Amino acid sequence: MYTFKPILTKIIPKMPLKTMGVAGLLMIITVILMAVLANFLTPYDPTKSVGLSLQPPSLNHPFGTNKIGQDMWSRIVHGARTMLLVVTLSTIMSIVIGVPLGLISGYVGGILDRILTMIMDAIYAFPSLILAIAIAAALGPGIVNTAVSIAIVYVPTYFRMVRGQTLNVKSQLYVEAAVAIGAGPISILARYILPNVISIVVAVFTLSVADVVLTEAGLSFFGLSVPAPTPDWGFDLRAGHPYLVSGYWWLVTFPGLMIIILAVGFTFLGESISEYLGLREVRA
Amino acid sequence: MASLKIFIVARVLALIPTILILITLVFFIMRVLPGDPVIAIVGMKAPMERVMELRRELGLIDENGNEIPLVTQYFNYLSKLIQGDFGRSLIWGKRPVLVEIMEHLPATIELAIAGFLVSIILGVSLGVIGAGSSGKTNNAVRVYSAVTYALFIPWIGMMFQLVFSVWLKILPVGGRIGVGLEPPTYTGLYILDSLISNRLDSLTSSLRHITLPAITLGLIISGVFSRITRTSVEEVLRQDFVVAARARGLPEYKIMMHVLKNSFIPILTMMGLQLALLMTGAVLTETTFSWPGMGTFLLERIQYRDYTTVQGTVVFFALIVALVNLIVDIFYAYIDPRIRY
Amino acid sequence: MSDTLLEIGNLKTYYFAHGSVIKAVDDVSLGIYKREMVGLVGESGSGKSTLGLSIIKLVPPPGKIVDGKIIIGGEDLLKLRDKELRRIRGRKIGMIFQDPLTCLDPLRRVGDQIIESIMSHIKVNKEAAREMALKVFERVGISPERIDDYPHQLSGGMRQRAMIAMAVVLNPELLIADEPTTALDVVVQSRIMDLLEDLKNERKMSILLITHDLALVIERCDRVVIMYAGRVCEIGSVKEVSNEPLHPYTKLLIESIPNIEGTQMELKPIPGTPPDMRNPPPGCRFWPRCPYVLDKCKSVEPSILEIDNRVVFCHLYGG
Repeated sequence: MYTFKPILTKIIPKMPLKTMGVAGLLMIITVILMAVLANFLTPYDPTKSVGLSLQPPSLNHPFGTNKIGQDMWSRIVHGARTMLLVVTLSTIMSIVIGVPLGLISGYVGGILDRILTMIMDAIYAFPSLILAIAIAAALGPGIVNTAVSIAIVYVPTYFRMVRGQTLNVKSQLYVEAAVAIGAGPISILARYILPNVISIVVAVFTLSVADVVLTEAGLSFFGLSVPAPTPDWGFDLRAGHPYLVSGYWWLVTFPGLMIIILAVGFTFLGESISEYLGLREVRA
Repeated sequence: MASLKIFIVARVLALIPTILILITLVFFIMRVLPGDPVIAIVGMKAPMERVMELRRELGLIDENGNEIPLVTQYFNYLSKLIQGDFGRSLIWGKRPVLVEIMEHLPATIELAIAGFLVSIILGVSLGVIGAGSSGKTNNAVRVYSAVTYALFIPWIGMMFQLVFSVWLKILPVGGRIGVGLEPPTYTGLYILDSLISNRLDSLTSSLRHITLPAITLGLIISGVFSRITRTSVEEVLRQDFVVAARARGLPEYKIMMHVLKNSFIPILTMMGLQLALLMTGAVLTETTFSWPGMGTFLLERIQYRDYTTVQGTVVFFALIVALVNLIVDIFYAYIDPRIRY
Repeated sequence: MSDTLLEIGNLKTYYFAHGSVIKAVDDVSLGIYKREMVGLVGESGSGKSTLGLSIIKLVPPPGKIVDGKIIIGGEDLLKLRDKELRRIRGRKIGMIFQDPLTCLDPLRRVGDQIIESIMSHIKVNKEAAREMALKVFERVGISPERIDDYPHQLSGGMRQRAMIAMAVVLNPELLIADEPTTALDVVVQSRIMDLLEDLKNERKMSILLITHDLALVIERCDRVVIMYAGRVCEIGSVKEVSNEPLHPYTKLLIESIPNIEGTQMELKPIPGTPPDMRNPPPGCRFWPRCPYVLDKCKSVEPSILEIDNRVVFCHLYGG
């Protein structure tokens, strides 16, 4: 009944994981399409009042309307834009800051490495959302500010993984050989370390991006993301909450569902890729 | 056990730089505010005395009206922290931040414990089941872990509210306890206090109110726990001593106990490190269920621009995280003798 | 024969993985007599470890015992349920493994582990069990203070002794030793083998020594079983087999043993590699590497041939 250490290799049923990966990919693509085709998917302006207040889903308004008469479906598809924009921006920032720092820190070592690692570890240990809240509160609303807040929180994730991988590669024989020939640090970094690091960055990305989505949702839930009329799923969730008691269920169900679809999609994809690459413990 | 004591001391010393970094980080974040925070609080038309007063309170200027350099501000802040002064609120009578934190902390602790219990029960059992089986069940557990982690807490909470409070009407939609039913304060945790003071009505009310939030929080975190448990137990089951133990004819339940004890360590460390997750989750859960804890408190103060309180609270969070990590490390060393020697 | 302790009849243990079947033990029959040390020799992949594990039904999944019988004391072990098997494991049949470090629970003291073994099988209280543990520790040559140590605090040799202690404390009739000395240096190896021999004589125990080291078996064992690719090649007393090996594989094995005294110029390894067990060659599995191969060998499996007290599976002798 219980699995032992087998003498032969363990069976990894790749099939279900592949299905997971594919399912995840589909979910993500759906959201991306929503964002890209937003203007074609709905005739209404999400920031304007276009209907009666608090209408349940109908042919005209497939997801109903909220208190101020905005069409929920249009807020959803335009909200996809907001979400994806913030997520993309913040990820780019995290990578641009975290990866080079990780490379340098891992390669150069010494005091610089020690200090950087300590700082990064401290940030990493701190609850992501709370830190993001603190930074976002200080910076104020706006897409860029929000992206920055989130980016800072996830820099350590990239830093650690890249640094680890750098240390790994650095100790390989072929790198020592290159140094012996007289190759300079930049060429070593570029030719040997960077290629190995790229696959790790992809892995980290796929696993942490779900977290980023949830953090953005969290920030916008607390009103710390983009300013008011711009549609954002977390914000709509919060806005619709007070009406829940009176039974207006469509105000919260759909925005929340979208958040989950995107987050789960990324998670599924990330799980399947990380299993494929054989990684563990890459959780943000 | 002398080696354990040395270990503890070493760990505590290592803690100091971490805490320092976090405090510094928070401090400088708060000073990054674009624009004048004071104006943001009192508005453009405030009288000069009020502005100066606030400036003094924020520690930006000294009694004579001179600007204090940033570095000095920093050290002032540090020295106050060491003495236990987390600052004072900028609103509502300048109450010490620490006092206000202490008032709201028990609610969060109660919720966190309840959520933690739910997640352990759910997560560990699923993890063990998943590890002990192969194929479909194993995969089902993996999918469960993946999905639950990605669920947005407020939405799950709201769905529960929708079903159980609005449609079925069997559980309250929010709050911590029914009006006027608070038990006398012993620990600050309503459930315990109700039991101590033998008040059935308080007990029932608090239990009813904590159910949905605890399940919401517990559900999300159980995903992580189930994955940690599963991988841990699977790892241990693969080790040779399990086969050797079976070869000695030990009964199955004893072997499972050994397996669990061995998997315990990585499970525990990871659990301790999930405190960050627990805190984030608690904050989100509290706001969804109007639970009067640290999360709601923090949020409220952000909206009121009570910067000193926000700063003090975040620093407090940082200290808690550092402390728990320390405890986990120590416990780890206690359980696994290999670490000490 | 009333002298037979354990009899294995037509044992088949297969591994089912990735859609293919690996016949790790394919129709093996052998007997172990009382008070003897039998060496089970084979290369990696020959199935010898699987055979050892099969005796006490501890073959890990995806492996499964498909057919056969294992009879000890009148009972067929393969027909017993797990609960009843537990009675046998550790009590009637003991087993020790190659790497004692990974085989002992790293989180508990060695004394506690052996006490637990004792108390799982017989009704004694903790003090009595501890007494027994101390005694057996002394017997295997570990100083009694070390009973409260953790496994990582003992040296490799001592850990192996601790494992032996745990395996023999309840006086089993058979001890299965799976490569017990492979991870040890030669001097320690010799001492451990001395210990095993002494225990065999004292406690009237039989030992099944599973190893790839034929030289060790020739030196220490009474009888030898040679296995190749899941099948038995030859069985006989050590004296007879080493003096006059019948099966070609045995011959090559013996020739490959380096001679410390002689004027050997080169090592003589056996050419070729063991077969892929998912697709073993038809007929006699050794034929691709056999210097005496006949046409018959390539298609017909040799059947059992008994010559005096020996057993061989080879067409050369008319099988």
